[in-house]
Amino acid sequence: MNRKKLIRSLISWLLLAPVIIVVLFPFAVMTITALKPASEVLDPAWWPSQVHWQNFTEMWQTTGFGAALGNSLYVSGLTTILTILVAIPAAYGLSRYRFVGRSAFRQFLLVSQMLSPIVLVIGLFRLVAGVGLIDSLNVLVVIYVAFNIAFSVWMLQSYFTTIPRDLEEAAWMEGAGHWRTLVTVFLPLAVPAMVVTAIFTFINAWNEFVIALTMLRREDSYTLPLRVFSLVAGRYTVDWQYVMAAALVASIPVAVIFAWLQRYLVRGLALGAVK
Amino acid sequence: MGRSATPYILIFPSFLLAAAVILWPLKEIVSLSVHDVNRFGIMRDFVGLDHFRTLFADPDFIAALWRTLLWTVSVVVGTLVCSVPIAMILNEDFYGRGLARILIMLPWAVSLTMTAVVWRWALNGESGMLNSGLRDLGLIGTNIQWLADASTAFPMQILIGILVSIPFTVTIFLGGLSSVPEDLYDAAAIEGAGAWDRFRTITLPLLRPFINIAFVLNTIYVFNSFPIIWTMTQGGPANSTDILVTYLYKLGFRLGRLGDAAAVSLIMFGILIVFTIVYVRLAMREEQD
Repeated sequence: MNRKKLIRSLISWLLLAPVIIVVLFPFAVMTITALKPASEVLDPAWWPSQVHWQNFTEMWQTTGFGAALGNSLYVSGLTTILTILVAIPAAYGLSRYRFVGRSAFRQFLLVSQMLSPIVLVIGLFRLVAGVGLIDSLNVLVVIYVAFNIAFSVWMLQSYFTTIPRDLEEAAWMEGAGHWRTLVTVFLPLAVPAMVVTAIFTFINAWNEFVIALTMLRREDSYTLPLRVFSLVAGRYTVDWQYVMAAALVASIPVAVIFAWLQRYLVRGLALGAVK
Repeated sequence: MGRSATPYILIFPSFLLAAAVILWPLKEIVSLSVHDVNRFGIMRDFVGLDHFRTLFADPDFIAALWRTLLWTVSVVVGTLVCSVPIAMILNEDFYGRGLARILIMLPWAVSLTMTAVVWRWALNGESGMLNSGLRDLGLIGTNIQWLADASTAFPMQILIGILVSIPFTVTIFLGGLSSVPEDLYDAAAIEGAGAWDRFRTITLPLLRPFINIAFVLNTIYVFNSFPIIWTMTQGGPANSTDILVTYLYKLGFRLGRLGDAAAVSLIMFGILIVFTIVYVRLAMREEQD
């Protein structure tokens, strides 16, 4: 053990402590409330007299959590795949070709990055209602893909630019076609950028609220955030123990994946953000 | 097909999709904002700028406009001010750094809606755990009704806004700090520069582009941020925590004033465009210096 590092560690943790307490507070609230028996939920005491694990199974049965989980997985998964599939060629085009309209396209992406769905929600609702597709999860996917394209193209493009052109040219010289070069030489090198972009897109879609709130009417098409929101919105009595259990179950898997991939995010975002 | 068509084919799918989902609704909003619209969305007479006049005569709108400014500036500035030191600490080599990074990033993984739901419960006046926690620590004597009054609800929402914006911002800064060469600091230390000098002359300038990008992205996100306020107070009590997005949503989907709501959308669009142009100008001028 290194004495200097020990002192530095102590100071670092001490300085970070206030932030970490505030960060962990909502998780503590979720966990403790989710473990309280119904009779003690409204009692403001911190600790329950007994741990009531049944809240989780009861929550699953009474709130339709499973269906919402399925919807969220479907919407986020499909959004991620489609976004990547659409963004890769565009990013490749932007990083490897000079063409008329290139900067116009980049500006168009910038504007679409600026316009979050909420600004357009009235128009989007009319569009979707006009074609009679309210309550369709696939429509949600299309909207999410469209709003994630700008950021994804941006991220991928800045990463693609860092991949040396020589590698592709060498492959062409050896007689590989453009397509084969792309698939066997270029894309494998771009995997880190694609992973970061995919995580971002997935989390954006997983957490999106306002479009889901507007487009989904029937409870069985609700996504997770909407499901949890609907458990507290406009009700006279709220079963907070179930709400917190649902929030906890919905948050933990994403938090774990996130913690696991966090180091890639730092690198990927650094590359994508500034170049 | 010649080489020259290739880039267009490559960008076409993304352009088509983004254009359909963004330009079409934008066109709808423009035409809604200059027509008389009934609550079922049927457009009637052309009314020019009437909706805009209605809005600017509406004290609730003006209040929401100012509150949006306060909200955006407080959250963005608060986030940047907290994130720089946090990123600098997390960039140091210390025991448990990996864990500390994960803890700080955690709010990012939880959806804003869930975070807001949890805080709404934690801030509950009678049974909320914030009150009981503060009482146990002896910091307050009686329960505070956090969300019943804008004077406590809105600052709390700003704090939560800062808290959830920190992870993304810290991540950008960590990326920036990792590109600062270590020997620059060593050289400065040999020259006798103190910690503050090193921060001012090395860290800050090198972090500058990252601060810029974090500033712009955060401003856009925070300005457009809906779930925190909608979930916690729905803009209440009595519209006293409304910002433009929640006001827009109420006008459109609660009150059925679609024309006015469309006009709010366009005003927001205008503000964002102006902000972006100003930023791009400033950034370009800096690059020339």
